[in-house]
Amino acid sequence: MAREIYAYKCRKCGHTHYPYRMVCKSCGENEHNEFDQVPLPKRGKLLTWTRAYSLPADFEVPSLGLAIVELENGIRMTGQLRVDDPRMGMDVRGEVEIVRREGYDERYGMVFYEA
Amino acid sequence: MRSVYVIGIGITSFTRLEYPLSEIAAYPAMMAMKDAGRKEIDHLYVANMGSGRVNHQTGLASAVVDTLSLTPAGAEAIENGPASGASAIKTGYMAVASGVHDVVMVTGAERMREVNNLEATEFVATLTHPLAEYIYGVTLPSLAAMFTRLYMEKYGVTERHLAMVAVKNQNNALKNEFAHLQQEISIEGILDSPEAMTNNPYVAEPLRFFDCCPVSDGGACVILASEEVARKVERPLVRLAGVGQATDTHAVHEREEPTDLLAVRRAAAKSFEMAGLAPSDVDVAELHDAFTILEIVESEEVGFFPKGEGHLALERGETAIGGTLPINPSGGLKGRGHPVGATGIAQAHEIVHQLRGDAGERQVKDAKVGFTCNFGGFGNNVVCLTFVRGN
Ligand SMILES: [Zn+2]
Repeated sequence: MAREIYAYKCRKCGHTHYPYRMVCKSCGENEHNEFDQVPLPKRGKLLTWTRAYSLPADFEVPSLGLAIVELENGIRMTGQLRVDDPRMGMDVRGEVEIVRREGYDERYGMVFYEA
Repeated sequence: MRSVYVIGIGITSFTRLEYPLSEIAAYPAMMAMKDAGRKEIDHLYVANMGSGRVNHQTGLASAVVDTLSLTPAGAEAIENGPASGASAIKTGYMAVASGVHDVVMVTGAERMREVNNLEATEFVATLTHPLAEYIYGVTLPSLAAMFTRLYMEKYGVTERHLAMVAVKNQNNALKNEFAHLQQEISIEGILDSPEAMTNNPYVAEPLRFFDCCPVSDGGACVILASEEVARKVERPLVRLAGVGQATDTHAVHEREEPTDLLAVRRAAAKSFEMAGLAPSDVDVAELHDAFTILEIVESEEVGFFPKGEGHLALERGETAIGGTLPINPSGGLKGRGHPVGATGIAQAHEIVHQLRGDAGERQVKDAKVGFTCNFGGFGNNVVCLTFVRGN
């Protein structure tokens, strides 16, 4: 089964947040957990990116691609980027994969590839 | 509210310091007490970000107040990321303005070189959103890099403009004996020469080594006081006339217009409003150039130049010492260094020198109004201060 990353849709006004926040930024609704989890779309356009060389110690690679992507539904997210020749505005598709290992801990997140 | 004045200042060299963190905080405080000619302090605020994580020491304010033999004065630490320094000054301002205290010492310190550069980058990266940014390996340089690419695309800022900021600020630092970097650089050396790619490699494309501030140890202190106290001190009067603070979304990708730094715009506007002044009144500014792009963008967001035109003012030389609005005569974070908790106080320290007229070789002629911008996170928590010479 494909893994998902979830956004949070306010039950009162429908505004969708990513990442999670406890009070709706749009309507101020503050009944705790009054949000529906909705999977983030996997397709979008590359808004901006970098290739970083000075990495935290958990990353045993010489460099790492990072990106902010505007997803199909207009929500933006940050993720890793595995594209050889990134261009702003290009179509990308995401996969939820292991993005960081901290000791025995495996953390999942979105990795973007050329669509 | 009462008026608040700066009556004493002190600073350490920003470099690698071999003495303990509490002493890095205390040494500039001793200098500031000498500068003010006064040892009576009602309250102490200590600005610091990493003592618990990097130096394995908590309760820093209790250590500092005791090593200065200022007990039983009250003391606490203020942590607001890289904006801790100006946040502590703001807190000191409120304590004096409200009448709760007459004399408040605000000292900031960081000892980051206890760990290597990668660990320091990792420590600062803990500022990012834990689930939406940090897990991916996002660091402050990579957030700045992604922001820079958008700015280049939208406004025509180039790597050459970034290098111009680096050269200006690092060469200003040569006039500041306390600055971390004491090495003259040129556009030729860091951008144009065949060796440039080796001298100046990418840290996070399109940002290069010389676009990023160094990791420094250091401390800085200001003493704030009421007008009644300030009038008894034999130093030119410098008034803290405006304090402004604003926040923005934790995750950078959530900002509606990704090339805006709204917290900078709002914090500056509040600071100017309280001071009853406008950006055009400012004679000298210290802006938070942790990355070269930030000096350009902040110079727009605080209102010195129209949005998207900061790099043009830079090209015209307006932001050089001797220009119409000198920015970062001290060398900025880029040249002076960036011991995170001390930075906002070091900015204020420089402005006080400038307004007193004793900044030496880097003096901005006849400076009457000075401004600082201390930038926390990647622009999610910003504090701006406005200072005025005399009353
Ligand atoms: Zn809502």
